Amino acid sequence: MIRFIAADLRRLWLGAVVVVLLVALATALGVTVTLQERALRLGSARAADKFDLVIGAAGSETQLVLSSIFLQPAPLPLMPGEVLAKLSKDPRVAWVAPVGFGDSFAGYPLVGTTRALIGSTVSGFASGRMFEKEGEAVVGAAVKLPVGAEIKPVHGTAAMGGETHAGVVYHVTGKLPPTGTPWDRAILVPIQAVWHVHGLGHDHEHEDEEHHEGGAAQVTQAAAATDEHADEDHGHHGSIDADAAIDENFAADAPGLPAVLVKPKTIADAYKLRQEYRNGNTLAVFPGEVLTSLYATLGDAKMVLSAVAAGSQGLVAAALVLVTVTHIGQRRRQIGALRAFGAPRLSVFAIVWFELFLLVALGIGLGFLTGLAAAQMIANAFTAKSGIILPVGFTGEDWRMVLILLAASAVLSAVPAILAYRQSPAAALRA
Amino acid sequence: MLSLRIDNLAMSFPGLNSPVLQVDFLTIAAGERVAVTGGSGSGKSTFINVITGLERPTSGKVVWSGEDVARLSETARDRWRAEHVGLVMQDFHLFPGLSAVENVLLPARLARVADAALIARAHDLLKSVGLSRPGQKIETMSRGEMQRVAIARAVLRKPGVIVADEPTASLDVEAGETVGRLLLDMSGETGSTLIVVSHDQRLIDRLDRRITLGAGRIISDSFREEVAA
Repeated sequence: MIRFIAADLRRLWLGAVVVVLLVALATALGVTVTLQERALRLGSARAADKFDLVIGAAGSETQLVLSSIFLQPAPLPLMPGEVLAKLSKDPRVAWVAPVGFGDSFAGYPLVGTTRALIGSTVSGFASGRMFEKEGEAVVGAAVKLPVGAEIKPVHGTAAMGGETHAGVVYHVTGKLPPTGTPWDRAILVPIQAVWHVHGLGHDHEHEDEEHHEGGAAQVTQAAAATDEHADEDHGHHGSIDADAAIDENFAADAPGLPAVLVKPKTIADAYKLRQEYRNGNTLAVFPGEVLTSLYATLGDAKMVLSAVAAGSQGLVAAALVLVTVTHIGQRRRQIGALRAFGAPRLSVFAIVWFELFLLVALGIGLGFLTGLAAAQMIANAFTAKSGIILPVGFTGEDWRMVLILLAASAVLSAVPAILAYRQSPAAALRA
Repeated sequence: MLSLRIDNLAMSFPGLNSPVLQVDFLTIAAGERVAVTGGSGSGKSTFINVITGLERPTSGKVVWSGEDVARLSETARDRWRAEHVGLVMQDFHLFPGLSAVENVLLPARLARVADAALIARAHDLLKSVGLSRPGQKIETMSRGEMQRVAIARAVLRKPGVIVADEPTASLDVEAGETVGRLLLDMSGETGSTLIVVSHDQRLIDRLDRRITLGAGRIISDSFREEVAA
């Protein structure tokens, strides 16, 4: 029987290849959607794992998390620097780190922060050491800069037409090990340097700051600053003293900030802080909470895509049955001859069933592999762009799906097989 | 070898007023070599289908050596046919993609009876019908060669009866001559009863008996005529 099927498939190889490819493509579509959605959920959850609480100015929770944790360049409203000072002294806080954005270099975002954040979220250095002076920087694992490299920050991004901060140069002192988060693509500099580059935080400039209503808030606004905004900012550009020591004791008059990342000492403290800083001026969120709401949206999108994929699979299945039934019709004489020569009806059933099932099963197998490859390619592209590692892979759920699809194929393949089984050999030979 | 007795056989199809085949009584002795002739629509194909169990008659008996195949279920008729009937058809019904020997063995393999002895016999049969390349693909053979493969397939399991439906109709004179001779030789070797539907006069002349059908009825039977004479 196997030889007969093999000979039949060799003879009709082109049709067989088309059937396998059709099934593979329909399957791959669904598999890619499922794997990608799951990888996105897992990857983003892992990326946010180390940050318990984010506090920013009142506004969009989602934007606050996307900008402060996933380092997505977008303008964030700023909150007063006194929030940072207050949190620094709060006994419920294990550590608090400001984050300030606005500049970039070679496509990598510069993030102003503190040594506390780096020391608390990453274990050690792949090479080099922590920044100790205002003109020093630490780079993430995916930043293609060696220790000792010079960084001349651009206000905003080069793509947005940002201008280089004249005279400002950082030197890379250390490279962090990979974390699989967007921070792998970040250049971390002292927050103090970010303020100074933007003309803030120097004693002599406080006056100017005060003259400019809400000036601080606008000057350090995330990179994001629009061209218009950038033009406005140029007047506030300052400089850094590359050899100046870093002061991470923040006073109430610290410049405004887009966000602070907080590590509460206990879960109870986390909830209390969240409650306390959710007021008209500030917004406190658990990143996991925001991600859950994002996943719900993602889930809805996945449902739509899955429905499209299922629809296409259904169409392919229907087309396959139609093609096979037509094919069986065309092969009536052959099937009739098999019966006439004494082939048992069950053998005829088995030949027709197995031939179709084999093609569909091959298509499903190929579809799963293609789906995996496609999801992996998308994930790689996403990682290169965002730094977030998306863990693409099959789980028990997927293997269950394989079994369900194979079972459905087995049933589907039985339709033409039953037609062949019921066919009268004499009628078939007369055809 | 099998003998055939037909009693009050009628085969009708829906929508037709009269039976397409009606045979009140017919016997064919075991080992007899019979030609069945008749014009188009005379009922020859239906006759073949009914006596080989491909179709169940509307009424009547088709008794092969005591076993009425008309009473058997379709599955049982398939089994009976596989064991007792060797079929040779005008269009050969060989399967492309398979070699000559694979074609010979296919029905036996599907019935799961192709043991080493049968495989050896398949090779011997191909040699005896003049085919020296058992591994040759069917689609590369001439029509005469194909019909010889079909004959080897038909006699593989030493059937009690060989039924050939226009075995020489699609062949040239020379190939037809060879195939006709092979049919007679093989049925002689296996001791099978031979029933051949044919218009090939040279083949008909070689057979012991000639039954002519017309409008679904036996209009002449050389055996009866001899008896009557």
